[in-house]
Amino acid sequence: MKLAFSIAVRFLKSGKFQTWFIILGIAIGVSVQVFIGSLISGLQKSLVDKTIGNSSQITIQAPTGEYLSDYSDIITSLSTNVDGIKIYSPTITARGTLLEGTDTSPVVMRGFDFESANQIYSFNEKITEGRIPTAINEIALGIGFKDSLNIDLNDQITFDIPTIGATEVTIVGFFDFKVSAINTAWAITGLNTVQTSLGVGNVVDSIESQIEDDLIFDAEVISASVENQFVNDGEGIPTVSNWIQSNEELLSGLQGQSISSIMIQVFVMISVVLAIASILAIIVMQKSKQIGILKAMGIQNGDASLIFLFEGLILGVLGAVFGVLLGLGLSYAFTTFALNSDGTPVVPLFIDPAFIALSAVIAIVASLGASLIPARKSSKLSVIEVIRNA
Amino acid sequence: MFGINLAFEEGSFNSIIGQSGSGKSTLLNILGSLDRPTSGDIIINGKNTKNMSNTEIAVLRNESLGFIFQFHYLLPEFTALENVLMPYRISKRPVTEETIKYANELLDIVGLTKVKNNLAINMSGGQQQRVAIARSLMNNPKIILADEPTGNLDSDSTEQVYELLRKINRQFGTTFIIITHDRHIAEKADRIIEIKDGRINLDISKTNA
Repeated sequence: MKLAFSIAVRFLKSGKFQTWFIILGIAIGVSVQVFIGSLISGLQKSLVDKTIGNSSQITIQAPTGEYLSDYSDIITSLSTNVDGIKIYSPTITARGTLLEGTDTSPVVMRGFDFESANQIYSFNEKITEGRIPTAINEIALGIGFKDSLNIDLNDQITFDIPTIGATEVTIVGFFDFKVSAINTAWAITGLNTVQTSLGVGNVVDSIESQIEDDLIFDAEVISASVENQFVNDGEGIPTVSNWIQSNEELLSGLQGQSISSIMIQVFVMISVVLAIASILAIIVMQKSKQIGILKAMGIQNGDASLIFLFEGLILGVLGAVFGVLLGLGLSYAFTTFALNSDGTPVVPLFIDPAFIALSAVIAIVASLGASLIPARKSSKLSVIEVIRNA
Repeated sequence: MFGINLAFEEGSFNSIIGQSGSGKSTLLNILGSLDRPTSGDIIINGKNTKNMSNTEIAVLRNESLGFIFQFHYLLPEFTALENVLMPYRISKRPVTEETIKYANELLDIVGLTKVKNNLAINMSGGQQQRVAIARSLMNNPKIILADEPTGNLDSDSTEQVYELLRKINRQFGTTFIIITHDRHIAEKADRIIEIKDGRINLDISKTNA
């Protein structure tokens, strides 16, 4: 083992240029792997985050026209019995019209428990003017209403729910969700504003929730276990929906991206393996005389093979190390120099140590695999042919 | 080759002569277990090589045989000393200080003390040949097989190399089987075997050796 290793090292050292060339080849392969992998997973994470990061990922909805009166019990029971959900937030929604003088606009009045809802919607960051409503009959409106109703902060307007009645509300803030469908439709307020407008007690019509970050793609499983909870508790049957059901296109887009990223990585690896295999095959040819001499001196076939396995291993390890460094360097350069106008990276990279380790291990295994053929060749090399062809 | 039936005595100094293409190298390669005969037996130290596995043959080559080839065949990536130590390292015994001392002694014997740490590739032909001789002695083999060991050396070096081989033969009692086309050299051997067209043409032993 030791002998084979030291011969391998000496062989590699004797052809320094060739050796560094192969290492560079492997390193470039690994760095592309690391860079593309980090880029795609960063892209996906930011896309998922932008799309569903500020929305309910699993929603428990009371049947139409009914309410959940024991919502705090439900939340307590779900918190203890279902894993993977980081926050629950009860909400109640009333649809109606906002009236300001002669201007009217349909509105979705959403009542939140802000303490928990903030962890889902990050209202603090979305408020552009004023503040989050704190008292009853205070509301914040999407900035889209500003123009359609010609209103301003601290204006009093009428919120009218057909067949139920009208409530006077005060505008204490405006928010911007960067989504026009929300900016022109939502009003946010406390639970009690909506409850009194509707003339119902302390009830909600749905419970919204967010899943823990690393379980985001397990939404369906978690959602099923939430659903099971209701059957077990013998409650009425609210519907449980999750983000995957409502974002099929996003999901298939992400999958397409993952597959193409894997394809790129697989082909990069294949070309690296082919390159190593062919260069090692050339080295065996170059070193066949030496192998012949060693065999005449009585080196065993296994040890003769080991020389080339060690060469593959050394090349793989060095290539992987330099490749990871190069890949991280590339990623660093990319996030430092490719910036949006506000100074944030165009694509936030996601550096996953486990993924990088995997890329390095794949490169090393591939190098070892590539050295199997030369190793076999070396083992089969017959002394007499080497001597005859001297 | 046909109908070859030869036995070499332990501690003898033998030469094989013959024209090129006569089969003398083939004979030596078969004797040294580098090549296998199509039929017939090779018995080394009382053991028939015919039924040995590759591993057993490798061990036999390592422990009992030393080769000196016409084209030196050193490992160019290693120094003279490392080349001499190589057969010992192949045997997988731990390299001790004594081993290194012995390798140095062998290099002293062949007169290469000064250049022992040079890479083989940076040495002259005669120096390389002498390294190869020192290397063949490293594991104290019973038999040394040499194929035109002076084939591409000038006449002075040739004389030196033969004196050296003869000295080793006397000092260590090593059996030598040497191919040469130099009759002058061959005549110094205890026994001369001439191969012609794959057969033994002549086999003379000197009684006064």
